[in-house]
Amino acid sequence: MKIEGKQRIWLDYQKEIADDHFFYVRSCVRQNFFPGSEKTFLRILQSELSKDIYENPSHTTCSGIGYHTDIVPFATSMTMVARQFALMTEAGYENFTTSCITSFGLYSEVLETWHHFPETEEKTREFLHKATGREFKKPNNVSHASDIIFRFRKEIADKGKYRLVNQRTGQPLKVVEHIGCHYSKMFPSKGVGGAEYPYVLVGMIEDWGGEVIDYPERRHCCGFGFRQYLVQANRGFSISCSKKKFDSMEPYKPDMILTNCPGCPMFLDRWQYAISEMEGKTYGENGHGIPVLTYEELAGLVLGYNPWDLGLQVHQVPIEPLLDKIGIPYDPEMKFRGADGQDLGKPDPPSVLKFYTEKV
Amino acid sequence: MSKSAIIIGGGAAGMETASQLARLGIEVDLIEKQSRLGGHLNSWDRLFPNRRDSKEVFEYLEQDMNDGISLHLNAEIETILKAGDRFTLSLRDGKELHSDALVIATGYEVFDARKKEEYGYGIYDNVITSVELEEFFRNNKQKNLFEGIKSKRVGIVHCVGSRDEKAGNLYCSKLCCVTGVKQAIEIKELMPDAEIFCFYMDLRMFDRHFEEMYYEAQEKWGIQFIRGRLSEASENPDHTLLLKLEDTLTGLPLKMKVDLLILLVGFIPSPETRRLAAMLGLKEGDDRFLCPADEHTITNSTTIPGVFLAGTVKGPASIASTITDARSTALQVATYLK
Amino acid sequence: MSDLYAKLFEDVRFREGLKACLNCGTCTAICPAAEFYDYQPRKIIDILQTKDNSKIEDLLKSNTIWYCGECMSCVTRCPRGNAPGLLIQALRSLSQELGYFTESEKGRQQLAIKRTIGKWILEYGYCLYPSEIMPDMHPEQGPIWEWEHKNIEAVMNRLGANYKGTGAGILRKIPDEALDEIYRIFEVTGGISRFDKIEEFSRIKALDMGMDMEDGKNDDYMKFIYTANSGDHTLKHED
Repeated sequence: MKIEGKQRIWLDYQKEIADDHFFYVRSCVRQNFFPGSEKTFLRILQSELSKDIYENPSHTTCSGIGYHTDIVPFATSMTMVARQFALMTEAGYENFTTSCITSFGLYSEVLETWHHFPETEEKTREFLHKATGREFKKPNNVSHASDIIFRFRKEIADKGKYRLVNQRTGQPLKVVEHIGCHYSKMFPSKGVGGAEYPYVLVGMIEDWGGEVIDYPERRHCCGFGFRQYLVQANRGFSISCSKKKFDSMEPYKPDMILTNCPGCPMFLDRWQYAISEMEGKTYGENGHGIPVLTYEELAGLVLGYNPWDLGLQVHQVPIEPLLDKIGIPYDPEMKFRGADGQDLGKPDPPSVLKFYTEKV
Repeated sequence: MSKSAIIIGGGAAGMETASQLARLGIEVDLIEKQSRLGGHLNSWDRLFPNRRDSKEVFEYLEQDMNDGISLHLNAEIETILKAGDRFTLSLRDGKELHSDALVIATGYEVFDARKKEEYGYGIYDNVITSVELEEFFRNNKQKNLFEGIKSKRVGIVHCVGSRDEKAGNLYCSKLCCVTGVKQAIEIKELMPDAEIFCFYMDLRMFDRHFEEMYYEAQEKWGIQFIRGRLSEASENPDHTLLLKLEDTLTGLPLKMKVDLLILLVGFIPSPETRRLAAMLGLKEGDDRFLCPADEHTITNSTTIPGVFLAGTVKGPASIASTITDARSTALQVATYLK
Repeated sequence: MSDLYAKLFEDVRFREGLKACLNCGTCTAICPAAEFYDYQPRKIIDILQTKDNSKIEDLLKSNTIWYCGECMSCVTRCPRGNAPGLLIQALRSLSQELGYFTESEKGRQQLAIKRTIGKWILEYGYCLYPSEIMPDMHPEQGPIWEWEHKNIEAVMNRLGANYKGTGAGILRKIPDEALDEIYRIFEVTGGISRFDKIEEFSRIKALDMGMDMEDGKNDDYMKFIYTANSGDHTLKHED
């Protein structure tokens, strides 16, 4: 494989990413399943990079999951989006930052639709005014939170205490990167690196010392499929998509998977568990599975944050093998404890996926 | 005073237009930016439909040229000016040429396959273009190419950069289909036990003997034709390629492994053509090729008196029809200059 | 027969997504749903291109349009600038507006989604909410979620959330004024009307099928549509 070929493509798709004064909107999935990631994002931006990032408590879901399960009409989602823009306008911001990839896709789709079908923008303004009395300006810049971490990846590397290197062997960690479908598949120019060879996570991995792995099913959807997961009868589709990816990446022996979408790390984490229960098969080494991280979690590790502050304890696939590889210390006793150290019990160990109880 | 014409472009069209005009007693300056004549004719090994050696065609065109032609090789054009009925060309080396007529025969380029990112050209080792394959044949380098092939499975992809909004070209490049069928046969000749697949959308076998070649490819050589455009090529750990497409005739998605992938890249208007056209104020079509004065009846002249077109500046064309077109242009120029 | 094609045309996504298909198959080649289901996005566009209302009606009543995962991989590849994923959205919207969705096993599931995601959007202002994601309905979430769910407040607190709190933060209580605004947005834009239609048509179907349907999560009809799978959705292979 010739890396120069990919680099040429990456240079073609340089997108504008705002560098300060962000209006932040949260992700439903991440708030539920990866709260530590959103906390870490704000911590990095505010404490490490001294950026101004503002969250209006009155902001809500963009309705993206409702939109993509088709229970919410397009006009409704457009108006939900408009309301978020109105809150941004009211607070005096122009740079819109989303935590969720489905949101990012929806905001991009709505803005493009308004551009190509101006009557829909007019109608949305009417609806918003009628329902809430609000008015909005369109953002100057819409970036995903991973774009921003990408933009400041070198600063993070400079402040970093750890590199993505296997301490035992001295070799860079092998990292599979997985991009959320709604990041760039619909509008390739809105993704760093375009749709075929996205660079947003590759840039982070490379600057933090790791080695990126390409594999045949890299672009394959993780299988969320919205209704394909949310309704039990359809879940076979969802798990099959993830399994396709695991089977394809296995020969390359990845040390971890890095994702930028909220849903993807959840599915890539949980479906490894489900596959192990259903078929007795585990991926990765020693029956532990392949750890799946969000980019904030990885940035936090590089910066030396406490893994249990980052929320790594709420992953089903154990994260400790990765921490040991990098040489990041952690206190196993504190893993499942509350904020004041209170004992919250422990989750039951899965029957196949090995619960990491001892350092090697 | 004898009339003169400047012909820009020393490929098949330029060479033949020059020969014909010189024979009619017109002073000809032939300008070519490379160090030798022939243009793309120098890139091909054997020509469809009868697979004759392209060198024969080049030699014919070369021998047809005579002393009446002033040849300027390695010549790059700085500016072109029209004043009244006269043209003045300034070359980069400082030379100035004058004429009463101008022929644009600057030809085409092939689509840059890197733009079709999902095919992995320039990234994966075993993805090459049809042009590179011809080069291998011409320079006898096919042994190196086919040496690494284990299971001897070759995929040929039609419509690369053509009929493709995302590649920026809606048009059909016309000659790639027959090129693909020809190359399939040529590869099979070298590797009789290879499995060769052509992934096509429509088979444009429009000219004489083309359809028969398709029949021969199937019946005599066992080439397999799958109707489906390649959607994606990825690399396996062993550097073979994993292809994803749909067999639209059975209506089922198809995943298959090949050792070598050949991309049939289409025509694009050459940047030099467009630069000169802009200087002269020539009309470009939506497809960015140049427009003659009338699509049906005046196909060798432009709307600018004294400026003529020959060959693939007007769009994809075969070598045979380019040579014929060049002679037609020469006649129009001669008539204009009388 | 009503002009279904014309109705589809009113949806901007339909206009954006359907230019003209030349049947190259790059969409179906890359579609995850086509890998596992008896589903080919190319065939959907082919049918829509014919503008044949009786074929479109069949489509709206079939399982076919519900297999798509809306990943939009098809949009990246189409050489004609079509977007099968957008067409699916337009078809699904129309199918619900007309009540045709209850004719298919997969279509009927829309009620389950409306009563979960739809309910939570209006009630909490989020599409998902921890107390609603019951471990026994989601065994695939694993023992880790079971543990988290049991200790949700403590875990949220540990990870820096502002669970049910006022002000900014993760899973904050979204102010009632904001929830009112969302409700009114749903009202004026046809969102409530869509929700009502999903309920009404489902009610008719449930009656037809002889099943109980109250407004909760645990009635017979809900359990049925949430879990029913005929096993007849994948490609047939001649082995």
